[in-house]
Amino acid sequence: MVKTDTRIEEQIREIFSNDAPWVTIVWDDPVNLMTYVTYVLMELFGYPKAKAQELMMKVHTEGKAVVSTGSREEMEHDVARLHEYGLWATLQRGDQGI
Amino acid sequence: MKSEGFKRHGSNSYVAEFAENEREILINLTEQIIELLAERIDHGQEDPLAAMVGITSHDSPPEDEVLHRLLPSAYQDEVDSAEFRRYTESTLRSKKQAHAMAMRMYLKSAEDGTVDLEHDGANAWLGGINDMRLALGVRLNVQERTQDELELLAPDDPMRGVYVVYGWLGWLQEGLIEALMDEN
Repeated sequence: MVKTDTRIEEQIREIFSNDAPWVTIVWDDPVNLMTYVTYVLMELFGYPKAKAQELMMKVHTEGKAVVSTGSREEMEHDVARLHEYGLWATLQRGDQGI
Repeated sequence: MKSEGFKRHGSNSYVAEFAENEREILINLTEQIIELLAERIDHGQEDPLAAMVGITSHDSPPEDEVLHRLLPSAYQDEVDSAEFRRYTESTLRSKKQAHAMAMRMYLKSAEDGTVDLEHDGANAWLGGINDMRLALGVRLNVQERTQDELELLAPDDPMRGVYVVYGWLGWLQEGLIEALMDEN
């Protein structure tokens, strides 16, 4: 009998499950100030300044960055809060190409 | 422009003094944002009960470019986006109006030009100023134009004044963020 590695089992379950994590993406925008994007990420997600700055720089240099991960409902909540503060954000399944 | 912007006073107080013309410009901008968002309020076709719980008749993005930037799509997929918009757009509109209304209230009551914000008020100001910048940014076409092009706008170009206000709002916002992040 072949003993399946439980880690692989978990990965397979994740692929077929509807609970695969979703992601919130912030897109680069020529209007929003770098300090403002950093501040909003600290304020809304409670990220330390260094992490918020790192994500902001990723948005700035690469055009986008994943700022949070979780269930679809949680990501919809995050996107709504980011929109309230004028950041350009969308959500999608984490396994879709970003 | 005369104001020196927001400075931190004590642990939860952020104070700025505005000249009368600066106060007028800011009040005017808050009113324009409130009106613009009100134009999007539903036109009576929707179920009143649905409206009461925040479901609106809007499921496509606003045609007006400024409104579209203020009320963006949450998904790249159109179908998902329409569904999300139907259930959440009216809440987003009220939150943005609330930021502008809070700013307007502070400014209206600041007859000597002094605005004194606590943390939550400061966040409403940051969001409100940002909406103004997003709106002016669409009009200035900052997506397409470089900063150099904008700097070189002729003094008699009507966009010149818009650009000056846009830059001033950025400076004001930046100063408030610095005051908020100042740990001392």
